[in-house]
Amino acid sequence: MKFQDLSIKRKLILMTMLTSSIALLLSSASFLIYDLISFRNLLTHDLATQAQIIGYNSAAAMAFKDEPAATATLSALTAKGDIVSAALYSPNGQMFAHYFRGAKTLPSAPPICSPEKSYRFEGQYLEVCHEVTLNGDHVGTLFLQSDMRQWSMRARRYATICLVFALVSVFFAFLVSSKLQKVISGPIMHLEDTMKMVSANKNYEVRAVKSYSDEIGSLIDGFNAMLSDIQQRDGALRGANDELQTRTLELEEEVSQRKQAQEELLKAKHVAEEASRAKSIFLANMSHELRTPLNAIIGYSEMLEEEARDSEDADHIRDLQKIQFAGKHLLSLINDVLDLSKIEAGKMPLHLETFDVRLMVAEIITTLQPAIEKNKNTLRVRMADEVSTMRADVTKVRQILFNLLSNACKFTDHGTIGLDVDRKLENDQDWIRFQVSDTGIGIAAKQRENLFKEFAQADTSIARKYGGTGLGLAISYKFVQLMKGRIEVESELGRGATFTAELPAHVRTEAADPVRPDGAIDSPAPASSPAKTNQDTILVIDDDAAVRDLMSRFLSKLDFNVVAARSGEEGLRLAAQLHPAIITLDVVMPGRDGWWVLNQLKADPALSEIPIIMVTIVDNEAMGINLGASNYLIKPVQRELLADLVEKYRVMRSSGPKTMRIPVSISTNRKGQEQTEDQNPRRR
Amino acid sequence: MPRILLVEDNEMNRDMLSRRLQRKGYTVLIAHDGEQGLAKACSEIPDLILMDISLPFIDGYEVTRRIKANPRTRHIPVIALTAHALLTDRDKALKAGCNDYDTKPVDFARLTEKIENLLVNEETL
Repeated sequence: MKFQDLSIKRKLILMTMLTSSIALLLSSASFLIYDLISFRNLLTHDLATQAQIIGYNSAAAMAFKDEPAATATLSALTAKGDIVSAALYSPNGQMFAHYFRGAKTLPSAPPICSPEKSYRFEGQYLEVCHEVTLNGDHVGTLFLQSDMRQWSMRARRYATICLVFALVSVFFAFLVSSKLQKVISGPIMHLEDTMKMVSANKNYEVRAVKSYSDEIGSLIDGFNAMLSDIQQRDGALRGANDELQTRTLELEEEVSQRKQAQEELLKAKHVAEEASRAKSIFLANMSHELRTPLNAIIGYSEMLEEEARDSEDADHIRDLQKIQFAGKHLLSLINDVLDLSKIEAGKMPLHLETFDVRLMVAEIITTLQPAIEKNKNTLRVRMADEVSTMRADVTKVRQILFNLLSNACKFTDHGTIGLDVDRKLENDQDWIRFQVSDTGIGIAAKQRENLFKEFAQADTSIARKYGGTGLGLAISYKFVQLMKGRIEVESELGRGATFTAELPAHVRTEAADPVRPDGAIDSPAPASSPAKTNQDTILVIDDDAAVRDLMSRFLSKLDFNVVAARSGEEGLRLAAQLHPAIITLDVVMPGRDGWWVLNQLKADPALSEIPIIMVTIVDNEAMGINLGASNYLIKPVQRELLADLVEKYRVMRSSGPKTMRIPVSISTNRKGQEQTEDQNPRRR
Repeated sequence: MPRILLVEDNEMNRDMLSRRLQRKGYTVLIAHDGEQGLAKACSEIPDLILMDISLPFIDGYEVTRRIKANPRTRHIPVIALTAHALLTDRDKALKAGCNDYDTKPVDFARLTEKIENLLVNEETL
């Protein structure tokens, strides 16, 4: 393990110990060296002194060649344990006496003594050389050799002491640093423990305790601040989580409740539908059961009336007529009830056809003539010029008008009944408005609310006085609704009433009319749908079969009689033959192109009034408009745009004035704009 | 005089209608149910048939279909009479092959008009 990776505690101990050991080692080493050097100097000086004493003592023996005395003097060196050998040399260099301990040999010739330095170190020995003199005469040379035993013993002892002290002090340094490092490592380890605890238990309430105000102290402060921050957020998060959980539970509960409610509703709906169906069946059956005896009553009374006429029995005729009248009234009641039940059961289909409003009104007036005359009323009819034809369920429109007019006759005495028929444009839709006004008894505000509800005649006394089922207005109201129109009443008690029924000039059924077979499109057969006048005919000139097909389908859905031409020539021929309301024209075609056709059409006075909508990929609106086209659409064409245009032209044509160009809000719909994808399959 | 076959199960209606038709100068043949109506249509070959739709056993639609399927009786015009005033009844009657349709209680004047129209058409064809 590297030093860097050790724990702070160990690092601190090691660092302290290392530092103290080095200091100790250095100081003891210097002391030791100094001591040993001075001790050696002492020993050298001591040996030199010894050599002087011995030289002095042996000088006489040397002078007199007394060898035993010299040897005896040398023997005294036995007391000196560290002198290993000694020798006396005569001035001619011959060994005169000697002493030695152990197997030590002596040099045979005296070493040369220099007067400056009388000692030298030879290996581990210290050698001293001394001139022996007697009365100033040189009598010989003394040689001493010491093995420095004292010095080495001292050095060894000193080293041992140093070592022991070093060990002891290292031990103490360890003890002290172990204690002291806690000042630094303790808070850090506490911080670490706290951190571990927090991360292990996710307990953010724990706080580290700050011991000192040093850097670690501020670290702990920071850590604690961070912890409380986290704790706060954790708390908030937990709160949000709890709330979310509660909300989820609530939501689940609500969902299940709603589901249950929905199921109950569905069940209730089924029950209601079932009940409604049962009611309708019951009503249908009842009306059948009622009609059969009624058939006999009316039939027999009519027959008897005829017989009474033959026998000129006037009294019976009147009574029989009363029976007949009552029977017919009962019959109309049954019919009304049946109508309402059919409307409620959603079984009242619309049979749409285009009819002349003027003719229909004339018929109604003829039928109503007896009712008008009954109360000595006068009828005033006003029809706007632009009211010509409309497309709706003629039977139902007739019934609505009949109901309104007969009500007006019934509740007016010696007054005027007014019928106004107008055509108006509102919200881009063409409306036919029928207004029936009278100067009769009027309707109180309170009773107006329930006027269009079933069986709600304004007053029960009215039923006794005027008769009627009270279903007429309810049925009219429902019929108007069926045809997506509206009906309103304005009245004041005693001041007559005005009923206004508005119906779309072109009533549409919910589902689009079935598409006519494809064959009818490519082989133009103008006589194939005689119900539609040329007013509803559109001529589509395009060489592409797919475009012809799509245009035909789309325009047929708008209740146009679509005739298609495959080429310019054919288109021109059909235009002359059919006088269509609108022509759509492609530009790029084999043979004669669209520009030529446009020119020809505009040159013919009989055809020049027909609005021409260019439908092409050629982006040259200026050219088209200059040549006389009414509008210029670029393929792929937006359906709504085309539908808007043709509808407007249809309305204009039927209402008379021939304005031939309708500004299109987006007259040049650029290529790549939003498109219905099946509009132009070639482009895909 | 034109001969009319009246197929009707309700006694009162049968009686009333036949008497009124007779007063108008028609010869009226009577059938009480579909089977009898079919038999009389084949044996008598009337000029016109008034067919009640709600007959027991075989209903008026079926009787008309069979009359129109038979080459001998195919040409005879049939007017359906029904107490139901639903438009679907009208469609069903015309689909079954009836030439015209009227609802009960009959408006006698209207019915005779329809009868006359069909008889005249038959003569001109």
